Amino acid sequence: MAMILEIVHPGGARTWHRLGDVPVTMGRGFGNDLILDDPYVDARHARIALDESGAPVIEDLGSVNGLIADHARLSGRVALRPGTEIRIGRTMLRFRDSEDPVSPAIVDAVTAPAPPAPVVQPAAQLRRRARVRATIARSARTTWARLLTVAATVLAIALYSWLSNSERSGASEALDAALRFSALLAVWAGVWAVASRVSVQRFHFVAHMAVAAVVALGGLAWTMTAEWLSFFFPDASLSDALSVGIGLFMLAALVAGHLSLATGFSRARQWRTGFVVAGVALLIGGLVAITEEDAFTDVPTFSGVVKPVGSDWLPTATVEEFGSVMETLKEQVDEMAKQ
Amino acid sequence: MSSARPLLLAALLVWTGDAFAQARSVATSDVFSRFADRVVKIQVVETGSAAKATIGSGFFVSERGHLVTNYHVISKLIHDPDRYRAELIDVGGTVEPVEVLGVDVVHDLAVLGSEVQPRAHFSLGAASVVQGNRLYSLGHPEDLGLSIVEGTYNGLLPHTRHPRIHLTGSLNPGMSGGPTISEDGRVIGINVATAGNQLSFLVPVDRAEALLGRVLTPGDQPPARTLEEVGRQLRDHQDAYLRDMFAGKTKMVDLGPYRLITEPAPFFRCWADATRGQELPYEKIRHHCSTDDYLFIAGDQSTGVVDVEHEMISTKRLNPSQFFSLYTSVFADDNTPSGREEHVTSWRCGTRNVRNASLPMRAVLCLRRYRKLGELYDGVLKVAVLGRDDSGVVSTLTMSGVTFENVDRLARRYLERISWR
Repeated sequence: MAMILEIVHPGGARTWHRLGDVPVTMGRGFGNDLILDDPYVDARHARIALDESGAPVIEDLGSVNGLIADHARLSGRVALRPGTEIRIGRTMLRFRDSEDPVSPAIVDAVTAPAPPAPVVQPAAQLRRRARVRATIARSARTTWARLLTVAATVLAIALYSWLSNSERSGASEALDAALRFSALLAVWAGVWAVASRVSVQRFHFVAHMAVAAVVALGGLAWTMTAEWLSFFFPDASLSDALSVGIGLFMLAALVAGHLSLATGFSRARQWRTGFVVAGVALLIGGLVAITEEDAFTDVPTFSGVVKPVGSDWLPTATVEEFGSVMETLKEQVDEMAKQ
Repeated sequence: MSSARPLLLAALLVWTGDAFAQARSVATSDVFSRFADRVVKIQVVETGSAAKATIGSGFFVSERGHLVTNYHVISKLIHDPDRYRAELIDVGGTVEPVEVLGVDVVHDLAVLGSEVQPRAHFSLGAASVVQGNRLYSLGHPEDLGLSIVEGTYNGLLPHTRHPRIHLTGSLNPGMSGGPTISEDGRVIGINVATAGNQLSFLVPVDRAEALLGRVLTPGDQPPARTLEEVGRQLRDHQDAYLRDMFAGKTKMVDLGPYRLITEPAPFFRCWADATRGQELPYEKIRHHCSTDDYLFIAGDQSTGVVDVEHEMISTKRLNPSQFFSLYTSVFADDNTPSGREEHVTSWRCGTRNVRNASLPMRAVLCLRRYRKLGELYDGVLKVAVLGRDDSGVVSTLTMSGVTFENVDRLARRYLERISWR
């Protein structure tokens, strides 16, 4: 029985190596038996050898990040058995038995002659094959879906710009808005793609664009909803509170979405990080708003939104009720004048 | 021969013009030499730094050293008596302290007292003057020394509640509070303001005479000297001005499908102007009513009490969404009066969708309060009529330096009055 070493590289690519002649050294340096392209791995990181009883062990060669199993750093020699999983840097080492079964080859409908129908296919094998096929199809579909999302968002931005433009050059303004948004999106996704390339060896450019586009689409939808809310209920602070909540969520989603592509963080950690970043941003924004509220200004702020609705069902106040709004304002400015 | 005639005429004109100019300058220098010693520079000085805060002019009106000037020249003293003092500087350069004996904020006048016993003074009293009469304004423009400026009497302004004389002549900052007199030395008015290009304004002398009378024999109506009393004058003034505005028969104007208030009082002037053009997919008509009345309130804050503005926009080319985006931006435009923190609070605004007897509208009221003048407020009511998707009107009622009762009263009447044509 020989031991097989499965290496899961950062970014998800896998390679397999038969551990024949030992010792085998691993690291980023070119003098190793196994060269690992992982910035978190030392030049000479670890070595697989046989102990006195002839059993395979792995040992740390004094690396910076060490050998990790179950989130804990290992020390000394670690015995290797089929099933052992050890992480070095962002690279996963999985040890397997050479007798482990693998799934049969997928039939290539284009080039292969029709294979003889298997007499019996175990249900598990069928399921696995279906899964693999689905994965390939999904990956293609995903890319298309992402591109479509980006396109839909750009279109929505153009439409919004056109609908809110009252100059003659409405169409060109809409085009301008779409181009500007696309450029911004590309730059933003580009920055994240470079970050991904550094940390997980993959660009994921389209995926990063899709993440940002989805969040932008959400933001646009909320902006329009908020306008209508503030038109129908100008006195309610509900939409303000909602805006804060939704803003927090969308910013967190943006960060989490990008992190899911650019790091190996667990989903919980992606969202945690997202909410921390969004929370800090909102806190800073809130502090600025509070100091501005206290500062003197001779420019009034009010909800000036008007919408094409004047029918009977529009909730309205009477002139008499508007009088009580004025009373409230009087109390507020009287209070301010006392300070 | 025919080409010589215009030349001759031109030469004649130059010659006669020259002769007039000479005769006039004799009169002017004569007026200056006879009356200059009755005019002084008034300056308000910050006690701590001894720096000049404002300068203006004033003139003696009694042998006991009473002077007349503008309220706005010495207003800092009223607002902050502990921080400022006022003094006069006469023709000879002698500095003497002065005190405020009474002010009339509505007419922008003040009577000051001093220990000086002037050699000569102006007597205030009725003076007959007709349009076209030559007058002489004395004062200290831009602190450049006592100057005399010629001007022409052009009657009272037609569009004010309180009388103002229209003088064609160049009054400049620093001449405020100085006298404008006839050739024989009768005071016609007190220099108060300019609109540039020789358009200058005077307070008629009878207002100063009345204030001086109240200072000399107070009786049961002693003149105001403190900020509190100034506030009361402003409140009384705006109350008389506004109490019945928009109440009874009110002039209305039709703009497109809308019927709106216009010319709130006979002394208002209304203007209208339209913006339309090939390059714009909409048209805008602006209707604006204001008065030439203005009140100096404090610092650089002077105000007409009420101002009415309508902006109607209509379109045949924009879809409802585009039109309402435009409507929103017109509605959200800030056209409120400016202000400084030492005088007023920040604005607080309330928005509601309001329906009166005939139509629905979006209404915003913004309010701020004066910090030192008692119960006085600035209120701006903005209304956008709803119900049509190809036209709309944004109507703004600006009230400045008024009591809350009047803000409330006028805003309600204004909201009730807007209707379909």
